[in-house]
Amino acid sequence: MIKLQINHVFVEIAAGSTLLQAARQLGISIPTMCFLEGYPHFASCMVCVVEDKKNGSILPACSTLAVAGMDIDTDSEAVHLARKTALELLLSDHSGECLAPCQRTCPAHMNIPMMHHFIEAGQLREALMTVKQQIALPAVLGYICSAPCENGCRLRQVGGALSICALKRYVAEADLESNTPYLPPCKAPSGKKVAIIGSGPAGLSAAYYLLQEGHACTIFDKNAEPGGMLRYGVPEAELPRSVLDAEIDLIRNLGAVFEMNTALGAQITLDALQEQHDAIILAIGEINPDGMLTLPVAIAKNGIQIDRETFETNLPGVFAGGGAVHPGKMAVRSAAHGKSMALSVDQFLRYGVVSKGSDQFNLRLRKMDQQELNQYIDDQKKLHNISAGPELFTPQLDKKAPSPEAVHLEAGRCLHCGCLKTDSCKLRRYAEIYKANAQNYKGSKRQYVKTRTDHPLVIFEEGKCIQCGLCIRITEKAGETYGLTFLGRGFDIEVGVPLNESLGRGLEKTAAACVAACPTGAISLK
Amino acid sequence: MEKKSNHIVIDPADIALIVREIGREARHVIPILQAIQRKYNYLPVDALRQVCELTDITPAAISGVSTFYSQFRFQPAGRHRIKLCVGTACHVMGADTIYDAFKQELDIPEHEDTDKDHLFTIEKVACLGCCMLAPAVQIDHITYGHLTSNRVSNILADFLSSQNGLGNHDKAISPFRKSETSGVVRMCRCASCDASGAHKVYAEIRRQIDQHHLAVTLKNVGCSGIAYQAPLLEISTHNGRDFQYGQVTPAQIPGILLRHFRPKSLSGKGRVAVYDLLDRLLTGRVWEPPTHAAIDTRFGADAAYIAPQKQIVTEHSGQLDPLDIDEYCARGGFAALDECLKNRSSQQIIETVEESGLRGRGGGGFPTGKKWRMVAEAADPVKYIVCNGDEGDPGAFMDRMILESFPFRVIEGMLIAALALRAKSGFLYIRAEYPLAIQRISDALAICKARGYLGQNRLQSGHDFDLQIASAAGAFVCGEETALLASIQGERGMPRLRPPYPVEAGLWGKPTLVNNVETFASLPWIIRNGAAAFSALGTPRSKGTKTFALAGKVMRSGLVEVPMGLTLRQIVEEIGGGVRDGKKLKAIQVGGPSGGCVPAELADTPVDFEALKAAGAIMGSGGMVVLDETDCMVDIARYFMSFTQAESCGKCTFCRIGTKRMLEILDRLCAGQGQEGDLEKLEQLSQSVAAGSLCGLGKTAPNPVLTTLKYFRSEYQAHIEGRCPTGKCRDMIVYSITDACIGCTKCAQACPVGAIAARAYEKHQIDVQVCTKCDRCRQVCPVEAVEVG
Repeated sequence: MIKLQINHVFVEIAAGSTLLQAARQLGISIPTMCFLEGYPHFASCMVCVVEDKKNGSILPACSTLAVAGMDIDTDSEAVHLARKTALELLLSDHSGECLAPCQRTCPAHMNIPMMHHFIEAGQLREALMTVKQQIALPAVLGYICSAPCENGCRLRQVGGALSICALKRYVAEADLESNTPYLPPCKAPSGKKVAIIGSGPAGLSAAYYLLQEGHACTIFDKNAEPGGMLRYGVPEAELPRSVLDAEIDLIRNLGAVFEMNTALGAQITLDALQEQHDAIILAIGEINPDGMLTLPVAIAKNGIQIDRETFETNLPGVFAGGGAVHPGKMAVRSAAHGKSMALSVDQFLRYGVVSKGSDQFNLRLRKMDQQELNQYIDDQKKLHNISAGPELFTPQLDKKAPSPEAVHLEAGRCLHCGCLKTDSCKLRRYAEIYKANAQNYKGSKRQYVKTRTDHPLVIFEEGKCIQCGLCIRITEKAGETYGLTFLGRGFDIEVGVPLNESLGRGLEKTAAACVAACPTGAISLK
Repeated sequence: MEKKSNHIVIDPADIALIVREIGREARHVIPILQAIQRKYNYLPVDALRQVCELTDITPAAISGVSTFYSQFRFQPAGRHRIKLCVGTACHVMGADTIYDAFKQELDIPEHEDTDKDHLFTIEKVACLGCCMLAPAVQIDHITYGHLTSNRVSNILADFLSSQNGLGNHDKAISPFRKSETSGVVRMCRCASCDASGAHKVYAEIRRQIDQHHLAVTLKNVGCSGIAYQAPLLEISTHNGRDFQYGQVTPAQIPGILLRHFRPKSLSGKGRVAVYDLLDRLLTGRVWEPPTHAAIDTRFGADAAYIAPQKQIVTEHSGQLDPLDIDEYCARGGFAALDECLKNRSSQQIIETVEESGLRGRGGGGFPTGKKWRMVAEAADPVKYIVCNGDEGDPGAFMDRMILESFPFRVIEGMLIAALALRAKSGFLYIRAEYPLAIQRISDALAICKARGYLGQNRLQSGHDFDLQIASAAGAFVCGEETALLASIQGERGMPRLRPPYPVEAGLWGKPTLVNNVETFASLPWIIRNGAAAFSALGTPRSKGTKTFALAGKVMRSGLVEVPMGLTLRQIVEEIGGGVRDGKKLKAIQVGGPSGGCVPAELADTPVDFEALKAAGAIMGSGGMVVLDETDCMVDIARYFMSFTQAESCGKCTFCRIGTKRMLEILDRLCAGQGQEGDLEKLEQLSQSVAAGSLCGLGKTAPNPVLTTLKYFRSEYQAHIEGRCPTGKCRDMIVYSITDACIGCTKCAQACPVGAIAARAYEKHQIDVQVCTKCDRCRQVCPVEAVEVG
């Protein structure tokens, strides 16, 4: 047995064990990408590095053997910097995008390609459920949203962006017109009470998601009717009141209590609300300069001062979002704030604290030139069995009077951009944890790289490969006839099938194992 | 990347023959690929498939290995291969311009490497090891040195005429016949002397001896290292007098020979008359008198070159025939081995090595005796010995010269090690770019086998030892010992994490001793003269001697062997005769791409492992390139980074991507597109790459950047401001013609792109939009009217 210390804790481990094994024995987690239990270690990615306190050197934990008397730190500043730099270098050479550009540019990060998928499949209820995971008022936004998502759409460059907003409205109105509009399930009551001041898009959205978590919500508003700016700022010609009422009713049906004609500072005070509630949300809309003085929370230049990650004000248990912190008329952003505040308040109610660093990491592809884009469209068509011919480049929808057929055709134009392993990608997860900046080491080779689709089950996106070699070791161990191998060396090294064979011949037995092991979206299921 | 190719039909019988000759085990993949490439000039994919069917080599291995080593190609090459050296010395002497000139001359399109007629394929190679002839090029097996862009067309013509003409001069070597000798003519025929024209001089001597029936033995000897005098001729007459002639040309040979030797059939009174008669009969003309008087190494410049040196690994240079084992033995060769066999135990041999203080000469400086002891003490009875001859550093050629000139000495060192460690098998891993070294070692091994030094129960010692050559295939990283061992095993040369070190788990998992060529070559001397004699030389922590390849902007370049402790200034100024052309010393690059630039202010740094490290450089394998005031330090840093970046194996993130990002910044700086913050980013990346790379290549790759940043930061700053103070960075300079122009039109005739219009007796002008900065105009201008700024 070998005795060493890791983060000042002594551990004993069998000779021949690695530092990674020793750390795991202590329950210390170390990120790994090129390491897989049961396969020889390779030490390539270098995100598993730890520091040897005796000489300050940086060692890959997955391969370094534990030596008696070692003093290892897995959490030092040097370790963090090295891991972050390794991730940033990998990202600088990672030709991929975590989310479809439409989803990334949507302030609420609605899963737009998924919505399109369900619309095309005729599953409108599932399409609506997808939308409502991020957006509480889809019909309302379907009328008034400025639709930044459509600016992100790749088809905009080659004909016309998809009518995402109109499709969303179609899905939401179809639901409202059905006999049983969708009501999400709510968890058992938590016994906690939240006061929401303001019934605009931020306040309504916050209530919608807090109610699903089992927290009681009372919405206070100075006006006679709920809706805030949606009702009192948007002309009826732009947003029919029947639609607004219908979506507010759904939130009421979910359990929200509305206290109208109740203004903060007049009928109620923050002190009194704090006594009766476990948390307060200030969703009071844009603040005029006079109003600022009467508010008991700290004020910044544009509105109420908050922590941008947690939406907490300077008062414990008091949160703020929407127009109150960020002037402007973008309803979808206020709606997005509503959901984010709900998540923070839920954490606060459960644990007493709100965790930071929940900022999603989203890598984006550089703007493609025409040639890359043609290749990209070609690959996506193959990958997602997109049958659209020339109509791919032509908008199919009359936004004013969408027919079911046109809706189906329009959704069928979606290229389903974005990564197939958005949620399981280790590179993305670690980039988030170590706050990596993908732009730090900009350089060459971030162009779109052709996707290999010559396998019945999986695709290989070479541009996303980090050369960890796991798939190569898997095919070798399984005795594949061809398998995979490294081709070339240095910066231009690639993983490929030997002797110019197809991916199908390369991965005859191990396709699924390679998908599971690949730490990024390089190899994924079709 | 492999590409589909249908150019060629493969005869399965050819592949089967290759496999039968080399072997079907997976470890033979590199020699098999080399044989296929020799046959077809590239690697046809169908041939590779057949290899997989006939051998244990898997498709993954054959594709992985063949694409790793730069020697292999997947497209048919031209009939002749032009290998243009871009080593350090060649780089500072303008190799890039020469490359452009070749491509222009052969009309090769920008992204291709072969001319339309498939006659020539041009490629840049890391280092030909002919640094003192820089810039140098090898066309097939002929090396040309001291190139200028204007000489390129002549060189191609010369090469082609040599192909049609006289056949292979090398066959003329005749056996040593002492009895007939009234004198000896000695010449080195190593790769770099040949590149200086030694092969032509040698052939001429041979021809003269045969035709005049001279009683002279022409002897091929190990290199004296006095490279700046090559081709160097040494003549010993029967009365014991020695003469040397430097920089000899074939035309001078008849005069030189007849000055010292008489035609055999003649004597006495009639000889002078006969000379003139012979002249007319044999040559039809009176030959030119020798333009060089004999030089004497005991006086003057050459004495200065030789005197401070101490020869241990290069002992008897210029005297020994590299492949004459009897002569080697007569001069004390194999005496050390004999001593070890007869009188010393393993333990005693290792103790001697330990006491000598010898440290690894490959760069790391690990104590050799300690390494031996670790292998000796490893429990596994099967042990291997490996000689690392993968001298890939641009600017280094010591190992090449030692292997070519003293093959028996290296082998003897390995035999002593084998004896001490009880190893039964060993390998010499030698760069593919050193064909002559491979040839000489292979001949020497055959001779040793015939004499019983190798094989079963060698020299009746009861000890078996078998030694073979493992030919490298073009990957600098294989100089790293774990990558080298992977390569011998027939794998991609990717280093692995140490420990375990090769001394515990090396070749095929067995304890393995890996020592450098020079380390092995030091051993016979140490055994013969004793550990104390060796450790009496040098500094407290660095003992003995070290060879250096002295090159660059120095008067006298060549291979030097100096006692440790001599200062860099002594080497450059006393041995090298100072900086060329009256320029000022700016820095001395020591240790190649892993080393650093020691500025002139620190030139008194002694040759000592620790002292060099403290100055930011490393001892390295011994490349020493002298830089003068016209050399741009940012360009030097960029040069080394482009080398290491291209040679990264691609395994570790920091090295694979980090060196690329560093190079991109340096490229930007040299193109005049640097940005504020670039230097800080370079420094930060340097630290990350050094800390986070597994092997020596990545760990030391930032050294040239770090030392130049440390000592020449203002030069970097100037590049950010869009200025190259030395005018070396091509993107930041323009060529112009001054009023000194006499209107001779030479520049206009020389310009390959028509950037200069010919106007007789008028001042010429250069169209900067068209100018490719090839430098030809400046070279031909008789009045130095072409200005670069």
